[in-house]
Amino acid sequence: MTVHEIRTRQGDSKRGDASDGAVLAEAVGGRLSRVDGPAKITGAAKYAVEQQLEGLSHAVLVESTIAAGKVRSIDTAAAESAPGVLLVLTPDNVLRLNTATDWLGTPPPDAPYCPLARDITFSGQHVAAVVAESFEQAVAAAALVKVSYDETPAIVDLDDPKAGDGIPVDTMTKEWGDAQAAFATAPVRICAAYNTPREYQAPMEPHGLIARWQGDRLTVWEPSQWLDGMARTYAEWFGVPFENVRLVSPYIGGGFGSKAFAYGYGAVAAMAAKMLGRPVKLAVTRPQTFTAYGGRAATRQTVALGADAEGRIQSIVHRGVNETSVDGMWVEPLGSVTSIMYATPNFSSRQNVVRVNTVVPGALRAPGENPSAFGIESAIDELAYEVGIDPLEIRLRNYAEQDPEVKKPWSTRQLREAFAVGAAAFGWSKRLREPRSMRDGNQLIGWGVAAGTYPVRRAYGEAMVRILADGSVEVESSSIDMGQGTYTILAQTAAETLGVPAENVVVKLGDSRYARSGVTGGSRLAGVMTGAVHKAATAALDQLVGLAISDPNSPFHALQANTLVVANGRIRSPRGNGPEVSIAELLGSVGRSQIEAMGDTTPANWTAEDRYKNNTTIAMALPHTEGDYSRHSWCAHFIEARVDEDFGTVRVSRVVSALDSGRLYNPKLAESQWKGGIIMGIGQALLEEGVVDRRHGRIVNNNLADYLIATNADIPDIEVISVGIPDLHSSVLGGKGVGELGIVGVAPAIANAVFHATGKRVRDLPITLEKLI
Amino acid sequence: MTSKTPIQLHINGHRHELEVEPRVTLLDALRDHLGLTGTKKGCDQGQCGACTVHIDGQRVLACLTLACQAEGRAVTSIEGLAQDDGTLHAVQAAFLEQDAFQCGYCTPGQIMSAVACIREGHAGSDDEIREYMAGNLCRCGAYPHIVAAVRQAALEVAS
Repeated sequence: MTVHEIRTRQGDSKRGDASDGAVLAEAVGGRLSRVDGPAKITGAAKYAVEQQLEGLSHAVLVESTIAAGKVRSIDTAAAESAPGVLLVLTPDNVLRLNTATDWLGTPPPDAPYCPLARDITFSGQHVAAVVAESFEQAVAAAALVKVSYDETPAIVDLDDPKAGDGIPVDTMTKEWGDAQAAFATAPVRICAAYNTPREYQAPMEPHGLIARWQGDRLTVWEPSQWLDGMARTYAEWFGVPFENVRLVSPYIGGGFGSKAFAYGYGAVAAMAAKMLGRPVKLAVTRPQTFTAYGGRAATRQTVALGADAEGRIQSIVHRGVNETSVDGMWVEPLGSVTSIMYATPNFSSRQNVVRVNTVVPGALRAPGENPSAFGIESAIDELAYEVGIDPLEIRLRNYAEQDPEVKKPWSTRQLREAFAVGAAAFGWSKRLREPRSMRDGNQLIGWGVAAGTYPVRRAYGEAMVRILADGSVEVESSSIDMGQGTYTILAQTAAETLGVPAENVVVKLGDSRYARSGVTGGSRLAGVMTGAVHKAATAALDQLVGLAISDPNSPFHALQANTLVVANGRIRSPRGNGPEVSIAELLGSVGRSQIEAMGDTTPANWTAEDRYKNNTTIAMALPHTEGDYSRHSWCAHFIEARVDEDFGTVRVSRVVSALDSGRLYNPKLAESQWKGGIIMGIGQALLEEGVVDRRHGRIVNNNLADYLIATNADIPDIEVISVGIPDLHSSVLGGKGVGELGIVGVAPAIANAVFHATGKRVRDLPITLEKLI
Repeated sequence: MTSKTPIQLHINGHRHELEVEPRVTLLDALRDHLGLTGTKKGCDQGQCGACTVHIDGQRVLACLTLACQAEGRAVTSIEGLAQDDGTLHAVQAAFLEQDAFQCGYCTPGQIMSAVACIREGHAGSDDEIREYMAGNLCRCGAYPHIVAAVRQAALEVAS
């Protein structure tokens, strides 16, 4: 069942609450409750791999138990004779696949792609797969596959002596002024190293897919942040036309960056389905989610700040390193916040990547900005104590009035307002400056502040809007809703543009047969899709009004009006003279079954190839510094931490964050997303760490009991305050990014609070008790 | 282990006859054999709470329960929580109103857990709710809204 088949049984719950006063809940900017909510709270929402198909078989992966070396042999005899087994796949019997284009649009080498490895480059790599009639049979048989290896020494992580300094990434270099010389002569100098561990997306819905071939047409039910990008990958792997691959992903149980690409297990399942001639379901197990795709790379940064005696920054020298895999490339841009948060006349940032035996790392909420902010927002806090001024004051003293890197004005930057509003709500003025100066019994209390930012990633979008005979409206897009609220804000956009109640709008997402869409990532989707739906709905409205004015059978025909008003699903003349009819009545009288309009925000001269590139790569995205402005979301977090003086345990007890995401399309849902980012940031600061067994190069805490994410008991009340104003340089309707922003700056705000509480500066995450006692 | 056994399950007030291997979990029986996919598989090893259902009114993890263990007992899943006429349970309505979810994947488990939490008398304060709802992970980070929803529903249930 999909969202358009669900009608809420409680009319008022669909309207949400209109606490914005003037803004109706269902208008853009109103607090409409999630329109996909009723499906999700009743269990009716069917996620991708929950489709019930006839003849479904089940695949289970077999993974390498070494981190480096070669597969010597795979003994499949026992597995093949196990009950119910249909197929055991190894590198010896795979179909030949092509290498696919990457997400940047780089043409692939003319070389085969094999999702099962003979050459092992990390522990947990797929080496074989078993397909059986039932899930239980496949699990049992997979345990019978015997793989022997010739093991070679692995580089287990960044601290491995064999790891070396890595490869310079020249595109990450940012330089202006003479940073080294200015640092050397600065009156106040601090320099420290900041580390973040491997972190994992850990969405509650594990990855997986159902693949079904019908002739040379492939249908893939798979949770996806990017249906069209993944469809392209499947099409290229199997050498079939793009149009032959259909991706279906009606709901996504969380992605956080991890569900944008087709991965090796997808190739395995689709290959098995082709070989067997029947649908195959492959559910990645929770432990496998730690190695079937990459989490956030471990990072190392050094930040050197040179300042005058009043704390005005004269130089920033920044060096960063992130791990990547042996044969893949992932760059976590560590200088992204460093280079824009504060005004500095001299700046230098460089970055290396170091190859280690890991799965290639990937995107996790605010890739780059998140660890970057941990470095600079910790460092400026250290500078504040060094020169003896308030941590909030030093941030204002170094406020960047324009983008220091590209020397362009900000489109909007409500960061000063965020500091002011957040500080007032938090009560920052009552803070005692000295570390260890605030306590409650045996709990040391610390108050910390840090800022965050995320660039406005812009792209082009298209959407289909239909007005149906009964006056209801359909919106179609192959974009997705993984909890950000796409279903809801697109219903609001179409409702407001067309003048119909939001409950009469049905939004259909998550099927690549709908109007194509680019990636959902980097907080770009809301801005892209509200713009596209607004455009399509405007075109549909123009058609509707045109019909009403010009069709001889229209009740408005005799009125000779230039235009008409559509509101609450009814049409009338602007002056109120003449008839008033419902949309359904008008369509009935002119004999039309529907009105249909495609709308897009793409340049008029684009070719079909341009659109294909726009929807299946990120090559057509607009830089955030394109044109006259530099565009970013901004935030300031104020956090209270309590540290048990005897045990060193840290609890976050209070959070106030003020955030500038521009105009909010739906504050109720945006606040939820901000809080979600903050909560993930609390987990990152205090709990999350992928632990590597140094003997075997293996992640040992590859499950949700050992890889700790925040639980309900870890999270206090969180107050979020919007300080944004509409930013029309950033999007058609004035919004900036929401989803990535909230997490950026949370970890340094907590580290700063812990320093204030204890006098101990923890520079490597997570902040666990052994680092404090 | 691999021979199938006929069992009867009582789920949401309905009797279901099915043949499953003894090793089939209640979670897989619900999702794959009966098409009741509202109960979610988040870890399959008892760590996340997404598969929480009620057996004889108690919250249990369906991934750590064999289907045959549920024979002769009353199983309630998320699909059986609303009334037959579609009227939502107070906890469901509160989750919608408080926006106590985003992606929705942990939500059925959260709601089943919340219903039991209130029934157990463990919704007396926000801190108590946090503690007794801590077995249900939510990666979207809806926790403060879940606490608000449980608090609201507990008051409604009490009245």
